[in-house]
Amino acid sequence: MPMTDRPKSDMPKAGMPSGALSMLILRVLQSGSLHGYAIAQRIHLLSSEVLGVEEGLLYPTLQKMLVKGWVTAEWGTSETNRKVRFYRLMPEGRKHLKAELSEYDRVTQAIQDILRTA
Amino acid sequence: MSELFRRIRYLINRRRFDAELESDMEFHREMAARAGRSNFGNTLRMRERAREAWGWTWLDRLVQDLRFATRTLARSPGFTFTAVLVLAIGIGVNVAVFSLFNMVVLQLIPVRDPGSLVQLNRRSPGQFTSQMPYLSAVFYRDHAKSLSAMMAMQGAPPMQIDDDLQPTTTTFVTPNYFTELGTPAGYGRLFDSTREGSVSAPPAAVLSYGLWQHRFAGDPSIIGSVIRLNKKPVTVIGITPYAFANLGGQGPDIWLPVAQQPFFIEGSTVLTDPSASSVRMWGRLTPGVSSKMAAQELLALTNELRRQHPKDIWDNEFIDIQPGGHILLLQPPMYSVVAMVAGLAVLILAVACANLGGLLLARAVTREHEIGIRVAIGATKVRIFRQLFTESLVLAMLGASAGLGLGYLCLRVAFTQFDMPRWLNAAPDWRVLLFTIAMAFIAATFFGFAPALQIARQRQRKTIIRQVLIGAQIAASSVLLIVAGLLVRATQHVLYTDPGFAYEQLMSVDPQLDRHGYTPAAAKAYLAQMQERVGALPGVKSVALVKLPPMNHTISRMDVEINGHPVPIYPNWVEPGTFQTMGIPIRLGRTFYPGEKNVVIVSESLARREWPGQNPIGQLLPGGDAKDTVVGVAGDAHVNAVNDDDAVEQYWPAQLEDMPDMVVMVRAGGDPGGVAPMIKSISENLDRKLFPEIRQLKLLYLDNVSLLDRIATIASMIGLIAVLVAGVGIIGLVSFSVSQRMKEIAIRMALGAKKVEILNEVLRQFVLPVAIGLVAGTGIAAAASKVLRKILFGVDNLDPLSYAGAIAVLASLILLAAVLPARRALRLDLAKTLHYE
Repeated sequence: MPMTDRPKSDMPKAGMPSGALSMLILRVLQSGSLHGYAIAQRIHLLSSEVLGVEEGLLYPTLQKMLVKGWVTAEWGTSETNRKVRFYRLMPEGRKHLKAELSEYDRVTQAIQDILRTA
Repeated sequence: MSELFRRIRYLINRRRFDAELESDMEFHREMAARAGRSNFGNTLRMRERAREAWGWTWLDRLVQDLRFATRTLARSPGFTFTAVLVLAIGIGVNVAVFSLFNMVVLQLIPVRDPGSLVQLNRRSPGQFTSQMPYLSAVFYRDHAKSLSAMMAMQGAPPMQIDDDLQPTTTTFVTPNYFTELGTPAGYGRLFDSTREGSVSAPPAAVLSYGLWQHRFAGDPSIIGSVIRLNKKPVTVIGITPYAFANLGGQGPDIWLPVAQQPFFIEGSTVLTDPSASSVRMWGRLTPGVSSKMAAQELLALTNELRRQHPKDIWDNEFIDIQPGGHILLLQPPMYSVVAMVAGLAVLILAVACANLGGLLLARAVTREHEIGIRVAIGATKVRIFRQLFTESLVLAMLGASAGLGLGYLCLRVAFTQFDMPRWLNAAPDWRVLLFTIAMAFIAATFFGFAPALQIARQRQRKTIIRQVLIGAQIAASSVLLIVAGLLVRATQHVLYTDPGFAYEQLMSVDPQLDRHGYTPAAAKAYLAQMQERVGALPGVKSVALVKLPPMNHTISRMDVEINGHPVPIYPNWVEPGTFQTMGIPIRLGRTFYPGEKNVVIVSESLARREWPGQNPIGQLLPGGDAKDTVVGVAGDAHVNAVNDDDAVEQYWPAQLEDMPDMVVMVRAGGDPGGVAPMIKSISENLDRKLFPEIRQLKLLYLDNVSLLDRIATIASMIGLIAVLVAGVGIIGLVSFSVSQRMKEIAIRMALGAKKVEILNEVLRQFVLPVAIGLVAGTGIAAAASKVLRKILFGVDNLDPLSYAGAIAVLASLILLAAVLPARRALRLDLAKTLHYE
């Protein structure tokens, strides 16, 4: 089929900006490797069920992180005894997370300053 | 591992990674289903989006489009064949032209380290010559540290091998010539500085491979044997290789060491005369030295030379250093010619592209159905445009490959038509390949962009773009045809007009007295005897002297401004009888009296330009420091500029000091060819040292014309091809617009419309673009052909006959191309057409 483009309005809606998602993924992987579904679950739980991670956003983000070398994928066995890929944080990703976090802190701090004084 | 590296890994192992991704997502859905959620969306689409992160989507789409394009093209082989053929012609011509440019101007000649070769010329603000005195060349060689080597080449008169009737071309070179160029001997050995460096060395000759083959039947035993050159014994020491790359273009058949020049040309003083500019000089820049630095040093040496020979160095003279490793050095005067040839080639491509654009649009109407379906199921305009353009690219690539082959073939054929150096190789190199690829992209943009845009916007039925394409085709074709017409006319003009002197009965006999060290008095005595004896020969009508005979090896020219226009004046020095012998009429006044000084005879055109409406007789010639009075007006005779109709002539009476340079003109009653052997024996009796160069002007003239004839043939062939391509395009477009309106026409005819009315209706849309195209083309041709003036041999670049002829040919072709398919419309099977669909 020569046609694969769709009008932009068809794109799956993101639950959050994808820059933030990659930061969250890196953060939850800090404590150990997880498979894709577990990453989504962990984020959902840790945010007290406020943030939902859609499949349509999670996997593109994970692919991007794989290509960037922040994470790597290894075969493992799931809790349901199925062969599945586990994503593991790489030193490259750890460095990126640190940079992202400090940047995030700086920005939120600035925003809070404005909110408090304005 | 860098990101790019990882991406490539994903590209190579895409199947595996895609499977892994699929498994991930499947697992995700399994788990989500357990948790009681079931809203997943399009899984295929999601996976595709995830894959986009790898960054290879564009490649996927390209492959997809390429596959689809190949399938589409393969399904309509007729269209594909026509399109590739049209493109092959358009691109092929350009490839051939560029290859030639590449070979001649860009490529270095195949000698050792061609990049460091430089050619050295004498230049001053007012003067230029590529010849320098041998003594100066030696001086530069001995003192210049910026030149690691110097090579010199001295032209020599053709010499007679043993008892041959036809003389053979010869050249003197410095003995380091072949070693410095890194040329190995084909057979035997070539010159060697230690063995051929001195006058006392035994005379040695190197033969060209061609001469060795046709004169000596490739016999290897010729090496070491003695042949006679102008009666002087000389040992053949070797043969140059088959494809020897000579400096400065085509080489001679015999090379001789320059040190032995006085042996072969007895009495010659050019090797010891500081004023005799006789050699062309090449050098090799010392590694690490730029030509600017070398120029600095050579300037200091020139100044030193001036101190030694104050009379022989010009004011402000300096050595002009040019790259020496190319066949041809592109000088500014040639830019316009190169631009013109390139322009013509591009025009052919333009015709081909406009043509193909029309065909693509026509095809789009038959593809409406297919494209309509694709749009209906959600293809965007961008996607359709990209798909169509990819199709054009595939076509362009196919056309370019065919064009590459065609260009190569053209060059091979051209090489057999013109005398080209043997080492030239027509096979495309990387520059030509790159050029061809670029041409393919440019062509695809020209012929594919607009139609693809129109089609993607579903506007293929609009006529405006079709009309623009037709107009462009007509304009470009008419420029090509007009230029071809001008060149053909120029050839005819040369063939059928009289150059103003009796070239058919004339022979020139050049004893080269100056080269043999004759004093003016001795030369005068020699020439007097020669004239008397040759004049007494049966079949000879008259004999006279001239300094610069027609089609001479060197010409002299002064550019003078007359009434605000630059006029090239060709001066000559003659004796009283020259006009009568050469068949140049005296229109006004008289010829010179014997021994007359300070008088001048001018040509008609010069008189008309200098003194319009006045009597030129008795006027003083302006400009010169001598006060020369005009005593006569001669008919126009382009003795020294057969190709330049703007040229005018000016004759002075030859004085005693001109005698060593004079050439004997012999006018025979009928064909002069038979007199040559008798002149030869007279010359032998007069001075055995001399071997006059005897030339029959008619043959030289025909040579000159045949070259032009071949150029004109090529130009008219190119013009014709362009017109045929345009014709095919117009036939296609008209039959398309007929087929598009078949139903409407059928209904009208069924209702009783007249055939002529319908014909008018169908063709009306083409009238305006054709008219605009013709007018624009004629205008462009008129403006651009100014460049051609120099090679048009006196045909006006606005020559009405060429223009009218070209337009007539084109117009009748257009008419034919339009009416033929339109007639089909009038022979419709009404019932069938109306029942269709």
